[in-house]
Amino acid sequence: MGGIYRYDGSSAGLLTLLAITVPRGVAPDAICVAPPPQQSLFTEVTVVDTDPELAETFQNELSQRLSPISLHQLRHAWHGDHPQREMLIFRYLLLAWRSGRSTSGMLAHPSVAPLWKLARMVGREAHRYLGFVRFRETSGGFFYAPLSPDHRVLPLIADHFAARFGDQQWVLHDLRHSEGIVHDRTRRQWLLLPMETSGDPELTPAEEQFQSLWRSYFTTLAIDERRNLPLQQGNVPLKVRPWLVEFA
Amino acid sequence: MATAIDLMDKLKILADGAKYDVSCSSSGSFRRNKGGIGNAASCGICHSWTSDGRCVSLLKILMTNSCIYDCAYCVNRRSNDTPRVMLTPAEVAELTIGFYRRNYIEGLFLSTGVIRSPDHTMELLIGAVRTLRQEYRFNGYIHLKLVPGADPLLVEQAGLLADRVSINLELPTRESLALLAPDKSREAVVEPMRQVNSLIVTNMAERKCSRKVPRFAPAGQSTQLIVGATGETDRQIVTLSEQLYARLALKRVYYSAFIPVSSDSRLPARAGSPLRREHRLYQADWLLRYYGFNAHELLDEQSPNLESDLDPKSGWALRHLELFPVEINRADYEVLLRVPGIGVRSAQRIVTARRQGHLSIDDLPLLGVVLKRARYFITALGRYAGDCSPESSLLRERLLAAPAKRDHGQLDLPFSEQETADASLSTVSGEL
Repeated sequence: MGGIYRYDGSSAGLLTLLAITVPRGVAPDAICVAPPPQQSLFTEVTVVDTDPELAETFQNELSQRLSPISLHQLRHAWHGDHPQREMLIFRYLLLAWRSGRSTSGMLAHPSVAPLWKLARMVGREAHRYLGFVRFRETSGGFFYAPLSPDHRVLPLIADHFAARFGDQQWVLHDLRHSEGIVHDRTRRQWLLLPMETSGDPELTPAEEQFQSLWRSYFTTLAIDERRNLPLQQGNVPLKVRPWLVEFA
Repeated sequence: MATAIDLMDKLKILADGAKYDVSCSSSGSFRRNKGGIGNAASCGICHSWTSDGRCVSLLKILMTNSCIYDCAYCVNRRSNDTPRVMLTPAEVAELTIGFYRRNYIEGLFLSTGVIRSPDHTMELLIGAVRTLRQEYRFNGYIHLKLVPGADPLLVEQAGLLADRVSINLELPTRESLALLAPDKSREAVVEPMRQVNSLIVTNMAERKCSRKVPRFAPAGQSTQLIVGATGETDRQIVTLSEQLYARLALKRVYYSAFIPVSSDSRLPARAGSPLRREHRLYQADWLLRYYGFNAHELLDEQSPNLESDLDPKSGWALRHLELFPVEINRADYEVLLRVPGIGVRSAQRIVTARRQGHLSIDDLPLLGVVLKRARYFITALGRYAGDCSPESSLLRERLLAAPAKRDHGQLDLPFSEQETADASLSTVSGEL
């Protein structure tokens, strides 16, 4: 009953797919969003239509069957930018269907270890971006922060910024995955939207001033006698620097 | 724009004066955003790292760098010829909020030189923080310095506004303090620490009865010791830290490798600053706080200083080889914590994972356990993975050795003779 399973890329879509396969123990050869690049003669492609109701029932069942740690790991893995993430989630759930709440403790199990590793990578990056986001005050009255994380961490960090800057209009823009989060201060809500790059927004004079204050503060703070560039680079990888005001 | 340039100069001078205070953490306090700006995350968040590899979490700044004292180690001492400036409470608040809104910082670390009197200085600091908390309704993290000799009432006010308060011991012994900081007495430093500790204890008890009692210094207090400016041994320093943690319930003791900022005849003439020693002291400090070690286990009269080229835990393990190797499937959590190379996380993961089945050596890297040092001190399912026995005289050398270059991986296989024997055995018996 294997074959390739296709879904629409949404979380409800994947939940529908899993609801169909996991309880019956059907093992897909691959799960993908786009049509497979090469049609194989002997593998069957099953297209799964998203069923919001089934997805919700399945999600409720998951939260009953699995421990909170498992759900946390699955959520992080889902936001990972990894070609095999759906299969990792599938294998994890297949095991979880047999082992229940003890699954999250089987750290060395071949179905758990790779998913757990991905979840840790995503979690670590999400935590780092709590610090690496740099808002720029634009003349449009909102604070804009471009970033390009490896994984799709925006939904994982949005609540933090919404709580912290509840009185600000702000936008987090993930340039790598072309999506963004818009925070509305009047309704105190945030929304994840697809977002295209369209030039640099115009900055306010106060913004330029604070940027130069910050840069000079940052330079002053280093103690020359303790200079340790490898350590700095370990903590601030080069890939995040283009978006950091103090390194730009 | 003149004011902007003025502010820039002030910021540079005052940041320059504050940067030798190494306290950086923003963790341990959870504060909700109550209709203003900001909150405090209990995990702490680092926002950047400077070219010396130290993290930037808080806006670390002095209120003023004028000082009536003349402490030999300090860059702001009275006799130092530097420009003196001062920030107003409004400027402190403006900078903090401006940086905070852009997510540059996690909060404010406000320290100061002492002007006029300790009480007057303390009032200035409290004024600035009160402006932030009340006018700007700032709920982010604030670390406030206490001024030695300030009135106990002011200390109490400070703790009610700040998340963490601290007062720097700077020098481990009374004699060193008298030598290098003749204007400060040890009592003036230790007394506020005692007071803060008792206020924290009372506050926690009161908050158990009613959640409406305002919190007093929820992230506790910390202090700093300068390492290498005077002749104390590591044993004196680590023992002092142990007492500070045990008796005054400090959250952190920071160690600052002494960097000569003046050529005072009272100071030692040293070429470099003792960065390695500082690193080893931090390792020992962690062993005290998270690994259940006592100071006397790490250092004794025969060896009063930590070894420079071996971490304190490995050093301890080499002195207590009779306790090793330990079986990771059976050893208690506390025992696992004492294995060199196994930290709090690794130990927790081992304990979690082994509930679901036995662990072999090959499972450990999957758990994120680094075997570089640990393999000489553990067995898994009875198998020992080191390439020399714990009794071997080679062990010390192996622990000291620089990490193997990655591209040599194909050439030298790090398997022991024992494993080779196992492999040949399986070839004979046909088992895999």
